[in-house]
Amino acid sequence: MTRVLFVSFFVITTSTFAAPGKVKFNRDVRPILSDKCFFCHGPDPKKREADLRLDERDAAVEAKAFVPGKAEVSEMIQRILTADADDHMPPAKSKLGDLTADEIAILKRWIDEGAEYEAHWAFITLKPEATKEQSIGKIVSAGLAERGLKLQAEATPETLIRRLSFDLTGLPPSPEEVTAFVTEHQFDPASSIQHLVTRLLASPHYGERMAVDWLDVARYADSYGFQVDREHEVWPWRDWVVKAFNDNLPYDKFVTWQLAGDLLPNATDEQILATAFNRLHQQENEGGSVEEEYRVEYIADRVQTVSTAFLGLTFECSRCHDHKYDPITQKDYYGLFSMLQNIDEAGLYSFFTPSPPTPAMMLMDAPAKEKMAVMKAKVAELEKPKTTTPPDLSREELAHFIFDELKGNKLADALHAAPPPQPKKDAKDKGPPDLAAVLKGENKLVPGKLGNAIQFTGDDAVDTPLGNFQRHEPFSVSLWMQTPDAKNRAVVFHRSQAWTDAASRGYELLIEDGKLKWSLIHFWPGNAISIRTKENIPLKQWLQVIVTYDGSSRADGLKIFVDGKLAAVDVIKDNLTKTIAGGGHDNISLGERMRDRGFKGGLVDDFRVFGRDVTTETDAELQKARAELFTFQDAQKELMVMKELPQPKKAHVLTRGEYDKRGEEVGPTTPASLSPFPKGAPKNRLGYAQWLTAPEHPLMARVTVNRLWQNLFGRGLVKTTEDFGSQGERPLYPELLDYLAMKFIQSGWDVKTLVKEIVTSQVYRQNSFADAKTMTDDPDNQWLARGPRFRLPAEMIRDNALATAGLIKLTLGGPPVHAYEMSEAFKPVTPGAGDTVYRRSLYSNWRRTSPPPAMVAFDAPRRAVCISRRERTDSPLQALILLNGVQYVEAARVLGEKLHLEAKGDLPKMIESGFMRCLSRKPDAKETQICTQLYQEQLAHFKAVPKEAEELFKTGNAKRDVSVPMPEAAAAAVLAQALMNHDACVVKR
Amino acid sequence: MVEENALLGLTLNLELETVNASLMNRRSLLNRFGLGLGGIALNELLAKESLGAAAAVDRGILGSTHHFAKAKRIIYLFMSGGPSHLDLFDYKPLLNQRNGEQLPDSVRGGQRLTGMSGNQSSIPMVGSPFKFTQHGQAGGWFSELLPHTAGIADDICVARSMFTESINHGPGVTFFQTGSQIAGRPSFGSWLSYGLGAENANLPSFTVLITKGKGGQPLGSHLWGSGFLPTKHQGVLFRAAKDPVLYLGNPAGVSADSRRLMLDRLKELHEHQFAETPDAEIQNRIDHYEMAFRMQTSIPEVTDLSDEPQHVLDSYGPDVKTPGTFAANCLQARRLAEKGVRFIQLYHQDWDHHGGLPGALPKLCKETDQPAAALVKDLKQRGLLDDTLVVWGGEFGRTAYCQGKISTNFGRDHHPRCFSAWFAGGGIKAGSVYGETDDFGYNTVKDGLHIHDFHTTLMHLLGIDHERLTYKFQGRRYRLTDVHGKLVKGIIA
Repeated sequence: MTRVLFVSFFVITTSTFAAPGKVKFNRDVRPILSDKCFFCHGPDPKKREADLRLDERDAAVEAKAFVPGKAEVSEMIQRILTADADDHMPPAKSKLGDLTADEIAILKRWIDEGAEYEAHWAFITLKPEATKEQSIGKIVSAGLAERGLKLQAEATPETLIRRLSFDLTGLPPSPEEVTAFVTEHQFDPASSIQHLVTRLLASPHYGERMAVDWLDVARYADSYGFQVDREHEVWPWRDWVVKAFNDNLPYDKFVTWQLAGDLLPNATDEQILATAFNRLHQQENEGGSVEEEYRVEYIADRVQTVSTAFLGLTFECSRCHDHKYDPITQKDYYGLFSMLQNIDEAGLYSFFTPSPPTPAMMLMDAPAKEKMAVMKAKVAELEKPKTTTPPDLSREELAHFIFDELKGNKLADALHAAPPPQPKKDAKDKGPPDLAAVLKGENKLVPGKLGNAIQFTGDDAVDTPLGNFQRHEPFSVSLWMQTPDAKNRAVVFHRSQAWTDAASRGYELLIEDGKLKWSLIHFWPGNAISIRTKENIPLKQWLQVIVTYDGSSRADGLKIFVDGKLAAVDVIKDNLTKTIAGGGHDNISLGERMRDRGFKGGLVDDFRVFGRDVTTETDAELQKARAELFTFQDAQKELMVMKELPQPKKAHVLTRGEYDKRGEEVGPTTPASLSPFPKGAPKNRLGYAQWLTAPEHPLMARVTVNRLWQNLFGRGLVKTTEDFGSQGERPLYPELLDYLAMKFIQSGWDVKTLVKEIVTSQVYRQNSFADAKTMTDDPDNQWLARGPRFRLPAEMIRDNALATAGLIKLTLGGPPVHAYEMSEAFKPVTPGAGDTVYRRSLYSNWRRTSPPPAMVAFDAPRRAVCISRRERTDSPLQALILLNGVQYVEAARVLGEKLHLEAKGDLPKMIESGFMRCLSRKPDAKETQICTQLYQEQLAHFKAVPKEAEELFKTGNAKRDVSVPMPEAAAAAVLAQALMNHDACVVKR
Repeated sequence: MVEENALLGLTLNLELETVNASLMNRRSLLNRFGLGLGGIALNELLAKESLGAAAAVDRGILGSTHHFAKAKRIIYLFMSGGPSHLDLFDYKPLLNQRNGEQLPDSVRGGQRLTGMSGNQSSIPMVGSPFKFTQHGQAGGWFSELLPHTAGIADDICVARSMFTESINHGPGVTFFQTGSQIAGRPSFGSWLSYGLGAENANLPSFTVLITKGKGGQPLGSHLWGSGFLPTKHQGVLFRAAKDPVLYLGNPAGVSADSRRLMLDRLKELHEHQFAETPDAEIQNRIDHYEMAFRMQTSIPEVTDLSDEPQHVLDSYGPDVKTPGTFAANCLQARRLAEKGVRFIQLYHQDWDHHGGLPGALPKLCKETDQPAAALVKDLKQRGLLDDTLVVWGGEFGRTAYCQGKISTNFGRDHHPRCFSAWFAGGGIKAGSVYGETDDFGYNTVKDGLHIHDFHTTLMHLLGIDHERLTYKFQGRRYRLTDVHGKLVKGIIA
């Protein structure tokens, strides 16, 4: 019994392999308490049962949960053991299942030994001693020795170069590289590995390989996601990531720039561009969605991404309540939320225009910036102090609607009385344009200020035929209006397609909270100018309202006059850097707008439009200079980034996490259980980044080195890369994690140095096969008793095939491309022409609702949310892709041709070369024999059906090399295909 | 102690298995501890055990159900866009009587509306232009647009009190498919595949069929994604194309003979490699290539409808001859169900009738009414309905008031508070009506049926306690029903 008990304990809790000796709280006890008890007896006071908490010793002792030293009389143990359903723990209704005999034994021993607690291992500050006289090999060897194991012998040089090439560049080594390395290795193994690693780390493809994992974390995609999932251009950020890894940007900067580059003093374009990281979450524009609901979701996504990526904590659990397992309160959640929401953004992106949501930066190179500076200087020079005069409505009037008489549904423009009908010359001649306004729906004429006026239903517009002003053009509008009641929101007039569906692109006069608001808008709220009267407008009385704009693209160029007097206003927005035209609906409409609140019951009379700012003289030269500048600005591409608002938005605890259930107000804060916020650091994203990268932060470095380890070994030292909390897995080698983390900090967060140390370690260089027992006992390779071995990730699977066939096109960066498989995607897209289908997988266009199907089949995540650990599965569907996918069939036939051509048809040579290309090693006699049989069988087959051989060479864009004879080329293609499907080709060994 | 570890392997695994039978099944043990040599032996044991199947059947993480399962599989006919309950199942003569009058504020009760009609100055009620009659033992009402569905009234349970929190399509559909409004969680079918595995090793356990060429609100492959569950549990889209499954067919120029010869040699290479370096991964790879080869036969067999007798084809209606129609997909669904596919998800889009409802709804019903009813009858006739659940429904209903101006060509906006769906087979109370709405068809007055409860109940019929099919991810145990879900006994036989 003892043996079975011990052994089964060992198997179930491999992670807490309990060497005999004192029970350790963090290693042995916390996992049990956390999983089975904390849900009801943990940090969350709202869910706490019987007012008992077991996550703190004093509280537990005080509540008499246990008596230290006396397990048998401890209530906790009694309650676990009792058969009485009312008293039994955990209760059946929790569905957590009973504790195992081994778990109970541990708890008993722990109580008997005094029931000591330890701070959660991941929250303990790193100590500089962690690196003293230590090394990866020493730590692991010592751990293995305790288990009676030792490190495996070093892998063969052929295996090593293949492993290192994939791990550091994501590409296989060429046969020449293999041969050269093997030769050098014979003479001096140690230095040959140093040379190889140095070479690979200097390769531009190192950055590409490292970027892939970060793109998962950053939930990078080339589309907005959610339902509509329109594509967007964020690839300049992806290219920045590749560059940052290649430049070996210190990791603390890598993190700081992405979180808060915009807040750095004299922030560079590159630092601001990096902040796009925070904007890569999914975004919505489905018609009828509630803007605030999605804004809150966006910020919730930022919180989740930041806390998964940098803290390895499941902050998202605290959105609705205090964390059940970890010391994170709901206030902590909204404290981080408050720092991540201070940008001028909308919760919906525009359906009617393609503009990226605000805030956004213009992507300009140095010459473009210089050019713009010159244009700006010219405008500044021409801008003289303005003399403002009372409105003069006598000149440059473009239209005047008196709304006195309705003909059909037409309302005449008094300035352009309809000309007498002229005989039509031919069908094409439509006559002069109709300059009347059109009254729609149930709007009606009622007695007004001057004759009749329009009374609006709120659901129907009056459309005028003019008003498509550009932002360099001064213009003004004058009208009489009367509102029947105090309105929170009503559209008086506008030139725009819609409200949120077009991000209000255009210009508009609204009543908002009882005040008049006059705005010119590129993308609301971040790119607009807008002013609002300080006073509410009077109700049920006629007002003469004049609104003017001077063509400056600035808020001080907007004015509102009420009954002839310049109204005192607040500046609501003052940042218009892009066009106000576009989006459709190019004319002024009154009283109604798509999916907005109309001017219900409101009256408008005597509506006049002027082609000038009626309070000042137009300067033609200035207007021309502005036109040039604005046109140039309009042509620049933009990227969504972070741009801190000068005044932070208010943050509240949201009850149950719901956007419309605001509770108490909260300010920026970080969890009390972690290191203190740095003194003097600003309480914003920058301060947060400083907090994260301070050497005393317990999580940032640990989480980062763990993820790097995972990317090389297929499994983190902490398996739950995303959860370093109480429910996460405790590392088997905590000293190793701390060693690496401390070294990383001490090196100045030098990623390449860290990677180099890992991949040159004896642990990494081991053979990936161990004896059968070790393999069976530790399939996950948690003990590190062998080298890493796992099926290549999706990107490498495809890149490997392309590289092996010599098809790969290794251009760095640029817009995403469509691989062959996109024709088979859920939303099919025609694959790219020519050699764009041979770009690295990193550059494959990633549309969230229709990602490349083969990539997904090989476990690439959909990038809907932050993922720091990929699942790895194997399925027959993957085999079908490798056997029949266009990319792979083409690669096999091109490689087949190449093998035949180079070996001049000599079969043993072909086989050897095929092995070197696909497996980075030479075949043995048996393999040569099998491959010979394969080739000859296929050759015989294709001789019998030559048509099939021809057909096989039609797959893919690559041209057939006619110098290779048929059907030999076809047989060679099938040989290549077999090798490309070989375990050693697709599994990193 | 360490020496004792040397004894680990097959013996211990078996020992453990007895000890912990309730915790884990053998398969999951194998998965957890990898397929070392001992593991492989056991794997073979399992394979032989599995009732002569061609390959080892994956019994999922649960190994066996939590309780007796009335249903073994689901066919889910998803009507994307939000069919109008008021024009199909929920007869409200009051709306006709008060056609054009404003919906009383007391009925709306401050409920949030979508941004599409939320800013309308007026929200007039609009009656259904379609005739309603009662059918079946429960006297449920059916619109004249659903004559065939009315004909199976005694085989189905119509729930009129479904409700959700979503007012938009994206989150609405995602909620039904994954139990969460925000995309990223595993789909219902993925949970079943994960929990119960496959009945047929040669077919995917979760398949998706979408009516071809429909417009309307877009769908996305995240709807059948596996979220944080291993990707082998994601839905496999069966397309109405030459290759029903991605790259199923051999490429041009590769015949089955040539492929078989190549695979035989590849197998030899792998076996040779395994002899040199015994790693279970290699053995797995061999298995997967063999299974892929079998799928090349088994999938075309199931997707080829040519062996269906004429009277069966006729029962699904004339569209059945056109691949990719809802009718053809319904018949396909029956064939997949026969072969033991666990979760068969159909989508039919274009029910989003914001305008032009009187013209559009009859068209949609014509496309779906007969095939859906024929599917139920066909399953019943084969004895398959007893253990197959059929579900028909959309992501929400539609408003009692009209969107925009009232006219003969009116439309209705999204309505989450109540809508109708029907269920059949697999332990469902046949010939019943569940739940009740007010006279405006706006609020539920009896037996509200939330999405979480819907998931809970379907899982219950499948033998699963929804609180015990969990996956630990990011520190907590996730499940389809999040932290909610109660069993709705009223729809169970």
